[in-house]
Amino acid sequence: MSSSTVSRVRRQGPLSPWLFAAPGLLIIGAFILYPFVSTLVNAFTDKRTLIPGEFVGLANFRELLHDDMFWIGLRNSTLYVLGVVPALVILPLLLALLVQKNIPGITFFRSAFYTPVVASIVVVGLIWVWLLDERGLVNSLLETIGVGRIGFLSDQWLLLLSAMAVTVWKGLGYYMIIYLAALANVPRELHEAAAVDGAGAVRRFVTVTVPAVRSTMALVGALSSVAAFKVFSEVYLMAGPSGGPAGEDTTLVMLVQRTGTGLTGRVGYASAISVVVFVVTVALMLLVLRADRRAES
Amino acid sequence: MPISRRTFAAAAAACVLLPLSACGSGSDDGGSSDASGKVEGDITFQTWNLRANFKDYFDGLIADFEKKYPGTKVRWIDQPAEGYADKISADAAGGTLPDVVNVSPDLVAPLAKAGLALDLDKAAGQYRKEYLDGAWASHQIPGMTGTYAFPWYLNTGPLFYNKSLFKEAGLDPDQPPKTYDELFTDALELAKKSDGKVATLANVPTIEDFGRYGVPLMNSEGTAFAFNDSKGVELLTKYKQLYDAKALDPQALTATPESSGKKFLTGAVAMNPGSALDLGNFKKQAPSLYKNIGITDQITSTGHVNMYVMGVMVNAQSKKKAASVAFAHYVTDAQHQMSFAKKVAIFPSTAGSLDDPYFTDEDGTDETRVRIAAAKSLKNAVNYTPVLFSEQMKTALRNEVAKALQGKESPKEALDNAVKACDTLLQQQG
Repeated sequence: MSSSTVSRVRRQGPLSPWLFAAPGLLIIGAFILYPFVSTLVNAFTDKRTLIPGEFVGLANFRELLHDDMFWIGLRNSTLYVLGVVPALVILPLLLALLVQKNIPGITFFRSAFYTPVVASIVVVGLIWVWLLDERGLVNSLLETIGVGRIGFLSDQWLLLLSAMAVTVWKGLGYYMIIYLAALANVPRELHEAAAVDGAGAVRRFVTVTVPAVRSTMALVGALSSVAAFKVFSEVYLMAGPSGGPAGEDTTLVMLVQRTGTGLTGRVGYASAISVVVFVVTVALMLLVLRADRRAES
Repeated sequence: MPISRRTFAAAAAACVLLPLSACGSGSDDGGSSDASGKVEGDITFQTWNLRANFKDYFDGLIADFEKKYPGTKVRWIDQPAEGYADKISADAAGGTLPDVVNVSPDLVAPLAKAGLALDLDKAAGQYRKEYLDGAWASHQIPGMTGTYAFPWYLNTGPLFYNKSLFKEAGLDPDQPPKTYDELFTDALELAKKSDGKVATLANVPTIEDFGRYGVPLMNSEGTAFAFNDSKGVELLTKYKQLYDAKALDPQALTATPESSGKKFLTGAVAMNPGSALDLGNFKKQAPSLYKNIGITDQITSTGHVNMYVMGVMVNAQSKKKAASVAFAHYVTDAQHQMSFAKKVAIFPSTAGSLDDPYFTDEDGTDETRVRIAAAKSLKNAVNYTPVLFSEQMKTALRNEVAKALQGKESPKEALDNAVKACDTLLQQQG
């Protein structure tokens, strides 16, 4: 910084840094803070789309306790975390180990595994719906080999599992890239030393690789658990707007969308569900990161 | 005077948050119903997914209006079909609702309650006699006085059926079912003969099905739902029999109109509702189906088919009410409805238009046959969808119907729960 600039900044006193930060503050305020605060405030009102509503205290939260659909949503979102997160922590690591080596043509495989990440979730969802339909490719194959048709999209639990499989399929490449970066930092000497000590591939993986990338695993666990708890698109596309048969596959975010949108949307009630989603995701993050810190110490 | 950091931060936050806090709430000001005055000024007109196919028609319509009323300028906005209600609600909440808006009665109801739809009985009552009585009444809201949109086009789709599937099941392909009882008998026969491989229907019963079956949907005051009576239970019980016999597609519980249409195209389903526009799709996408396509009226046990109504609403907050009312009337008057009807398979809601030879004279084509049959049925058709039946209510009914079909609840329990949920939502709407 030139001396004249420095003196100008000094002349303007403490205002200058704020002026530099103003554009960022405005954007953060308008698109992050305001919606967040607004959601918190709305959660304590009976606001509807076209009607401002009044303060109702904890009434929305009390109603949640007696709302069957809320418990179904909470169950499904929790099951989603339990089903998806372990797969997204372990499978991308194994995939990263496979494509880590620099052998001819490996770039093709890295790109291929990454392709689902960049594909639109709507397109991905539609393709999987076609594949898993009662008359889709998967069922035709199953029928050909004598297994018979399976109601992937008509059974409550199979539908949820199918959506989880799509989430895992789409997320593999993303987390694989994170692991590839982490694996690149694992000292080669450690593997060589373990190999000299007679450790096989599996043992080297458990005793060298896993401890070396444990922090990354925690990061992947935290990121994927938040994403899984907030799942919307995959389930919405595969289970339909009603959330599967009798709405049994509804997740919490789907419930927020269904309850709070449209001309008759209950914005206050949907905000209360959003607050629950926020609290649970923060808790999940803290849980995973705390577990990592404990393991580290 | 130096500004403290805390003061500056608070001021910055206030600058950001205060202007925004004005958003998100509808105004209590219902606006004046007075639409008198000179027809002039700039107005906005929003349609529902019409630009792709009818750009020339609307460009011409707007140009003619601007020529007829010098000093007016109409800006046309077209919104995609997907999420149309959400777009309107965002505009309504944000105070950016266009002056003239294409709506259906269920969209008008919350807008009218929020004081955003102009009462046309007061503002444009002189035009009332130009429209069919039933069509004019379709935008009246139970519990409110007034009419909140000009009726625009009407529609009543035919029911398509696959003649070859009927033939294979030993049914007469020239005698499709007309009533629900006939439908249930044929559907069970079809499922039995195809060993459960061919379903007759791909959708669970909707509120319109309950209406066409003769179930009272609401009480006479329009203050509570009533489709859980014995007739409603009877309908759902019969649908359960269909579901168990696979005469109702197993994926019906999660089906959308698009997915059931696709099933009909692939021959997995024998009957599907549609419109005259679908004939072109069948011809292009499924020529073998097109050769065997059967066209019949909607199934009804009341003698009245279901009619879908579109309307054109005027924003009660519009600054140019005279021009907005004049344009909304211009779009929906007999001459323009008739010319629009000749471009697409819809029907005018203006008095006497359905007697036009276009809707009465056969020319031997399937398209004309569908058009004439539909126009005929429209004369005593009923809009079975209650105007207060919101999206959330549709979901509640659908979920309870699914529970009954799966055997998780009895039909009576399911309908009682659905009515309870819909009544609660109705009360919450205010």
